[in-house]
Amino acid sequence: MEINIQEVGMTYPSGKQALKGLNLELKSPSLIGLLGPNGAGKSTLMKLLVAALLPTEGNILVDGAPLARAERKLKASLGYLPQDFGLFDELTVTQFLDYMAALKGLGDSKAAIQKAIGAVNLEEKAKAKIRTLSGGQRQRVGIAQALLGDPPFLIFDEPTVGLDPEERIHFRNLFSRTAQERLVLLSTHIIEDVQSVCDQIVVIHQGRIRFAGTPERLIQSAEGHVGVFYEREAVQEEGLHITARVNTSQGVRCRAVADDLPPFAQAEEPTLEDAYLYLISGEAAQ
Amino acid sequence: MKTLKLYPLELGRLLRSRLTWLVMALTALSPAVGLVLYKPAVSTTMNSLYLANPAIAGGVVGSILFGLLAIFELDRACRSRVDILTDAVVSPLTTALTRLLALLTSAVLTAALTMLIWFPISAGWIGSVFDGVDYILAYLLLMGLALLLSILAAASAYQFTRRADLSVVLFVAFCALSLTVWAGNWQLCWLNPCVWALSDDFSNFRVFRSVGYMRLTWLAALSGVWTLSWLCVRQNGKGAFGSIARSARRVYRPAVALALLVCSGMAYAAQPFIDHSNPDLTVMSFYEIPYAEGVTFLSRSAQVFPDTETGTVTGRAAYRFQNTSGQEQSISFGIDPGYGVSNVQANGKDVPFTVSSYQEYNEALLEVTIPAEETVELTMEYSGFPQETLPTMQGGKELSGEYLCLENASFSPRLLNVLPGENGYPAHLEITLPDAMIAVPFGASQAEVVAEHENGTKTWHWEDNSASDILYAGDYVREDIEAGGMSIEFYYGRKHQAVMEEAKAVEAVKAVVNYCTRHYGKLSFGTGETLKLIQSRVAGGAYAAGGASLLDEADFTIANLGDTSKGAVPGETFIHELVHQWWGLGNMFDVTDSASPWSAEGLTVYTTYRIVKELYGEAYAKEHYIDQWQQAVDDYYLNFYVRHPAYLDMLPEAERLNISNSLSSVRQYSEMPLKILKAERLVGGEEAMDQILHDLFNRELDPMYPYLTYQEFLDACGLTEEELNLG
Repeated sequence: MEINIQEVGMTYPSGKQALKGLNLELKSPSLIGLLGPNGAGKSTLMKLLVAALLPTEGNILVDGAPLARAERKLKASLGYLPQDFGLFDELTVTQFLDYMAALKGLGDSKAAIQKAIGAVNLEEKAKAKIRTLSGGQRQRVGIAQALLGDPPFLIFDEPTVGLDPEERIHFRNLFSRTAQERLVLLSTHIIEDVQSVCDQIVVIHQGRIRFAGTPERLIQSAEGHVGVFYEREAVQEEGLHITARVNTSQGVRCRAVADDLPPFAQAEEPTLEDAYLYLISGEAAQ
Repeated sequence: MKTLKLYPLELGRLLRSRLTWLVMALTALSPAVGLVLYKPAVSTTMNSLYLANPAIAGGVVGSILFGLLAIFELDRACRSRVDILTDAVVSPLTTALTRLLALLTSAVLTAALTMLIWFPISAGWIGSVFDGVDYILAYLLLMGLALLLSILAAASAYQFTRRADLSVVLFVAFCALSLTVWAGNWQLCWLNPCVWALSDDFSNFRVFRSVGYMRLTWLAALSGVWTLSWLCVRQNGKGAFGSIARSARRVYRPAVALALLVCSGMAYAAQPFIDHSNPDLTVMSFYEIPYAEGVTFLSRSAQVFPDTETGTVTGRAAYRFQNTSGQEQSISFGIDPGYGVSNVQANGKDVPFTVSSYQEYNEALLEVTIPAEETVELTMEYSGFPQETLPTMQGGKELSGEYLCLENASFSPRLLNVLPGENGYPAHLEITLPDAMIAVPFGASQAEVVAEHENGTKTWHWEDNSASDILYAGDYVREDIEAGGMSIEFYYGRKHQAVMEEAKAVEAVKAVVNYCTRHYGKLSFGTGETLKLIQSRVAGGAYAAGGASLLDEADFTIANLGDTSKGAVPGETFIHELVHQWWGLGNMFDVTDSASPWSAEGLTVYTTYRIVKELYGEAYAKEHYIDQWQQAVDDYYLNFYVRHPAYLDMLPEAERLNISNSLSSVRQYSEMPLKILKAERLVGGEEAMDQILHDLFNRELDPMYPYLTYQEFLDACGLTEEELNLG
């Protein structure tokens, strides 16, 4: 599966320009993490990729064909977990997945449903009405419906929201395994999730792609720009973005990113979060 | 294909919702509303009371409920944001179509469930005249299809607006239009069909066809509207217009919508049931056509072939004229507006003819030019679906294997402008009917079978002497009765046999005819030797002429025969209705004035009392008649609204009419008989009163105002209105 995004722009009827001049190539197998602050345009990009919206500028090609013509093919190969979705509360988990399997036109829906339920650890709740499920369990039903039928292209928008740490790790591993043969796009605010499993990262900010590459490359770009210091040592420094504050016996220990570290800051190895914040803060400053 | 796969799952999902079951249950119970609150069918036949009204009410209530359910269900996917998941894997057009099919199926299941639940109840209430075919057709057409229409309408509103609140407003307004502004328009009242009566004793195919036609017209229209709205189903984040532009790229979609709308428009315009007669009933221009100069009538014949399956008629008519004018002449006929005329020939050669688009009194004008030959034999063929004039009282031209009524121009073209010859208007008439039907010409003529055919039909022949014909035919039971010096042929529907036997109809006919002939004289419209009493399909009234009298089936229903204001037991109510042959038919009484107790009912109830007194004795008659009248009148004078009429005027119209009708009924059925009884005492007893009534019955009529008035009655008794005051 190959998705080519060419000079894509999206302006809503209200006049708000959500995306501009986007160029991106998504190829399977790959697990791509999509990062960006709120309102950066991540959800709009995902809606474009599931044809819930059509771009006002540029083209999206699905295996070389324009999306407008390949919409049916795209939908047939897609598993999508939106950030904000609903379920039919009067159905049981199995019935709902059966319904979604029929929508997807799956032949052997029974096996596919069992596999999806197993993948999200919902065997015990398979016959429970959806209205009786907790928030985390509903999220798992959402993931299960996306996994139904092993689609070659998966889009997850904040999939681990509402899950406990153990479940998050489980799903991170699941996404990683899934991406061995498929194209998976993972949008999240949890940098740790991205760092653990994604082989590619795309950072969007203010409707534009600010970075596209491996996590290592993003981390490298922040080397020499991350430092720690105690708050008492700090004076008003411009361009210094504090990313963490820890109370210690010696005082408040701060971690910050900056183009030029002040002399009182001790250089540190950047993490992916540091690199992401360094990238975003720099863009914001510009 | 995907739609078909999804459909059972969507239906299953819909049927798992508690709200769906609530709507289904309420709809299944809603026919009860037609028994107490909403009774659009005004006739008193059992099928009107216990089948038409419940089915129509069920349709109205169920439709509103299903329409709201449709909006709720369509909006739910959006409201609960499930559509984000579904739209990602399948086109929203597919899910919209699947949801519609599931909703329609749930409505069909509900209609079937309702029919099952109400079957034993209806069968019990309707009694011996219950008919399974009528039952199924009534629930299918009067109720079932309404549910489908409402779902289409509501779903369209939602798909156009994508707003539940606005859709509810639009849908309710659409329902309200049908229940108010369109209620009198049989083609537009999509929710509440114009059904004023269903026959018990005969078939109802004409009414069912009419309702079916209306429903199918709306089904095509709303399917077209729905298809248009379907194109507006929002997709790819676009608005209504963006979505329609995208959906309409497959040209067959808007083409289907357009075709459906065009079909419904054509069906609306080309309806075959109701003619376009001049609504001004004072205009009688066909009777003002001058007689053809020098043309006289010699004879005519007609062979009529009703098709009881399709409800159509084909016929051949031949007319012989003498034309002494030496010129071509234009001969005018009235023909049923539903008929087409062809093969018009005079002496074997085609002659020009025209059929006007102007219609009057259920007739269109056919004008034929006959040649300037001394003897002309004019032949023509005609065929079509007989049309009616009153859209809110359909059913009069029922034509089935159980019953038919072909009147005047519906039987054969009616001659308008040729003077009778020395033999009048001699006619030889034939009709070919199914084996089970008996042909009963209205009048003194007697029809007889002249041929039996292999296809199970019989040809009946009779002779007449008139310019037009009326024929009743049906699956009749014929009773021959000798009474009052007359031979009476009493025809009533076979389905009504049990009711008639319970009401001792034959004995009642004898008693009434003997009594009334003895006391008041022979019926003025008869030959004096024979009388045909023909039970007609429910028609809202009866008439008599030329030795035959019509009895409207509505007067002899189980419910009516149980009406104690007319008689203590069913047999006595039957007597009451027969007495109307003397007091109440034709031009005996003017339209009843609601402010006066004087009507056909006073003398009829009084005469019924006298007959019952003669049959069962004075004590019985006093207990069941005089005492009942007195009790009703005493209650009447104590009634709050009688004592304070100003309060009656303050009530809402429906309630006011209900009360005033009830009070008016007491005055006619109880107060007036008591007054006549008082008059009887004041004039010197029964014998004197009988003489007065005899004289009134046989009085010389003023052709300008032939009605018997209260003042005439008082004058004949030599009494004043005040002298008859009760109290």
